[in-house]
Amino acid sequence: MNPFPAIRFVLRSALQNVVHNLGISMASLLTVTLTLLGAGGAVIVVHALDNVLHTEESQASVLKVFLADHVSLQAVMEMEAQLAAQRPVVSVSFENKDAAVRQAGSLGLRAAINTLRDTGGGNPLPASLNLKLRSIAAVTTINNEVRTSPLIFQGAHPTDYNPDVIPRLERYILIAQIAGAVLVAVIGAVALVIITISIRTAAYVRRREIEIMKLVGASEWFIRWPFIFEGMIIGIASAVVASAVLLGVEALFGSGRSLFLGIGLHFALVVVGGLVVAGALLGAFGSMVGIRRSLAV
Amino acid sequence: MFRSHRAQLPELPTPRASPTPARPVIVFERVSKMYGSGKPALDEVSFQVHPKDFLFVVGASGAGKSTMVRLLIREEVASRGHVLVDGQDLRRLRRRQLPRLRRTMGIVFQDYKLLPNLTVEQNVAFAIQVTNPGRRHLREKVAEALYIVGLEDRLLSTPGQLSGGEQQRVAIARALVHRPRIFLADEPTGNLDPDTSWGIVQLLLQINHRGTTVLVATHNREIVDLCRQRVIAVEGGRIVRDEAEGRYLEGGTAAS
Repeated sequence: MNPFPAIRFVLRSALQNVVHNLGISMASLLTVTLTLLGAGGAVIVVHALDNVLHTEESQASVLKVFLADHVSLQAVMEMEAQLAAQRPVVSVSFENKDAAVRQAGSLGLRAAINTLRDTGGGNPLPASLNLKLRSIAAVTTINNEVRTSPLIFQGAHPTDYNPDVIPRLERYILIAQIAGAVLVAVIGAVALVIITISIRTAAYVRRREIEIMKLVGASEWFIRWPFIFEGMIIGIASAVVASAVLLGVEALFGSGRSLFLGIGLHFALVVVGGLVVAGALLGAFGSMVGIRRSLAV
Repeated sequence: MFRSHRAQLPELPTPRASPTPARPVIVFERVSKMYGSGKPALDEVSFQVHPKDFLFVVGASGAGKSTMVRLLIREEVASRGHVLVDGQDLRRLRRRQLPRLRRTMGIVFQDYKLLPNLTVEQNVAFAIQVTNPGRRHLREKVAEALYIVGLEDRLLSTPGQLSGGEQQRVAIARALVHRPRIFLADEPTGNLDPDTSWGIVQLLLQINHRGTTVLVATHNREIVDLCRQRVIAVEGGRIVRDEAEGRYLEGGTAAS
């Protein structure tokens, strides 16, 4: 059988459905647009929050290991090599005492350091090994490990490890991810219900046509496809409108490659693509649920 | 009043000989149908219909006529017993096999079931478009069906522009367009005046004369008495009479 007349019929019927029930279609489009807008917005906000938290996390996953003054350069290099070989360690860099002063100076502490020098204490800041770790979870382990080394500065703070920051950051990231997932799931469920009601209404309006199709021997899929396409048309159109609104907001508040809320152009395109796919899937699935009752023998 | 019009109408096809010994095309075998816990709509009903038969099922409203039609198109399933069409037990028919069964049948109802926003031609073509959209010679098939029912000159009219009788003819054309082996009509004259009803029944007889098995469920006494075809009378869900050339009597019973 030539499939093209069937496809043409299905597409034409779907478009006719949309046009004949324009009021219902527009109401569905509006509500699904709003829900997709909510979902898209939620994804962007969660992503932005995630970005902020990951920036914090990357800062927190840098561990500064202060070295004792008597340690030879050879011993430091050996320790650097040992640490660099460990799996959780991304990179190790040596910061000597002068560099530590410059670093402190950039933080506005130069005057205090000069005062200490003038009192005859020399450079009071220790040299350090700065470790960049793969994840925040590895900081505690590495911190506990390096503290046992005899090369380490034996003071109150042999490293800059802050035990309070890391669990708090981890908790925030988890909460943001769960909240985002729940929000997207709830909004998605609402969109699904709306499309289902919309298609059920369309099926009710066209109940005579469905009845005739069944009587003359049309297959269930042939009856179903126009409604599935109708749902997909509504879903995709809603996604396009929602994406246009989101990108419009970006155009208003974003600047160049750095978009609003810190999202990039690439992620914005991912969101748009995701919304279109989500709209199409919601439309198709909602239609299948909506038409099911009308297909009862 | 109704009889007085008959002389003006064309000759009826002559009644055919008694059923051939061929395998029955429809079999009801001790069929019962219950809705809920009430009285059965059909109670131990058995009969057979052979190919090319013409059959009236008569009875008052609620007697069980429409239930028989619904069982035949598998809109309902028998609570007990077996309904066979072309030797196939409809109880065992899977849902996905239903379209194929219905394409072997032409079905018309009292309310025509036409799509008001489509033309006559589109209404008839609809039956092909939704079942076999790639079918060639669509227009020729539609024209042929409309010619049989005498509406070849009303192609572009919409149902709202047609009389009740014409609308029923469109429904018949739509049912014929698949060239069905079995034609089912559930109260096809229920909304029509006597003259128009007689025209519809003549059309059904012509369809039967072309070799199609026809089953008409009706409570129209006049047409049953005029046709002198096989009559099954149903009362309270049971067959009370089954006669080769029967008549309709008051109370839903039939007698020769």
